[in-house]
Amino acid sequence: MGKYNKNLEKLKGNNKNPFSVPEGYFDTFPTKMQERILSNNQEQSWALKFFRYAKPQFALGFMIIAFAVIAITTVNLILDNESTSIDSDLYTRIIEVDASEFSEEHFIDVLLDEDKKKINDHKTEETDLYIHYLLDEDIDYGTLIDEL
Amino acid sequence: MSDYSDKELLDLFKNIEKRNYAFNLIVRKYQEKLYWHIRKIVIKHDDTDDILQNTFIKVWKGLEGFREDSKLYTWLYRIATNESLTFLKQQKTKYLIPIVDYENQLKETLVSDLYFNGDEIQCKLQKAILDLPEKQRIVFNLKYFEEMKYDDMSEVLKTSVGALKASYHHAVKKIEKYFKED
Repeated sequence: MGKYNKNLEKLKGNNKNPFSVPEGYFDTFPTKMQERILSNNQEQSWALKFFRYAKPQFALGFMIIAFAVIAITTVNLILDNESTSIDSDLYTRIIEVDASEFSEEHFIDVLLDEDKKKINDHKTEETDLYIHYLLDEDIDYGTLIDEL
Repeated sequence: MSDYSDKELLDLFKNIEKRNYAFNLIVRKYQEKLYWHIRKIVIKHDDTDDILQNTFIKVWKGLEGFREDSKLYTWLYRIATNESLTFLKQQKTKYLIPIVDYENQLKETLVSDLYFNGDEIQCKLQKAILDLPEKQRIVFNLKYFEEMKYDDMSEVLKTSVGALKASYHHAVKKIEKYFKED
């Protein structure tokens, strides 16, 4: 590998380490490590103790929050449902019928009933007018029938 | 203090009552080897001290789960190597814009470093090594300075033996070229 490799081998042969360490470094390092391990363990045990103590409180807190969220959501849903109003009596009458018994024929009957009711209402109104007229003109109904 | 084998140390560590003692023995057995391995990567003593401590903290935390599918020695080296590489990465990304090349910074501090006592050629060699890519630098250090076997190096760096041999060969060539150009 050439001239340089001889230099490399020569450098290795000198066995001289160009780097140095502070005096006594390796003598004190194991003790320093032991102290660091001990302090790490203590920190962990403090954290573990706190967690074990506070775990029930955290659990209770989360339960309360979860319950509150569920309650608020449920109340909001109920209020949303109530706000929808039924517009006409017709629909109310239909909805009052048991859904299982509901049929198209029944729906038509209801509608026809409504129409009859309207016609009857109209007839009732006309009759009232006649009666008011007869009373106002002081016409005897019996006499009117005889003459007809 | 008699030297325990790695197996004896691991067995001793499994005994909870003797765990601290076992760990202390492991630190005493491997502190120097790991220190010099880290030092050659990061150069500065203070940085090496921090990384070495972090390495042993990880060893303490991980030793209980160590499956012994690799040697203890290569496992320790792997942790030390990863910690060193993480440190270098952190130094390089310290600034948003990499204004200064970190390796060049290390070259400049090498000569004035209190804990560097090498002569001119050793200084030149260290600068040449700093010019190598990080992983190649590690391969060179492990082979050249520590004479680690390629099989063990393969466990440490999780790279094939062939790739490591090629990497070392290229590293030597680059250092040769550095010396010729200088």
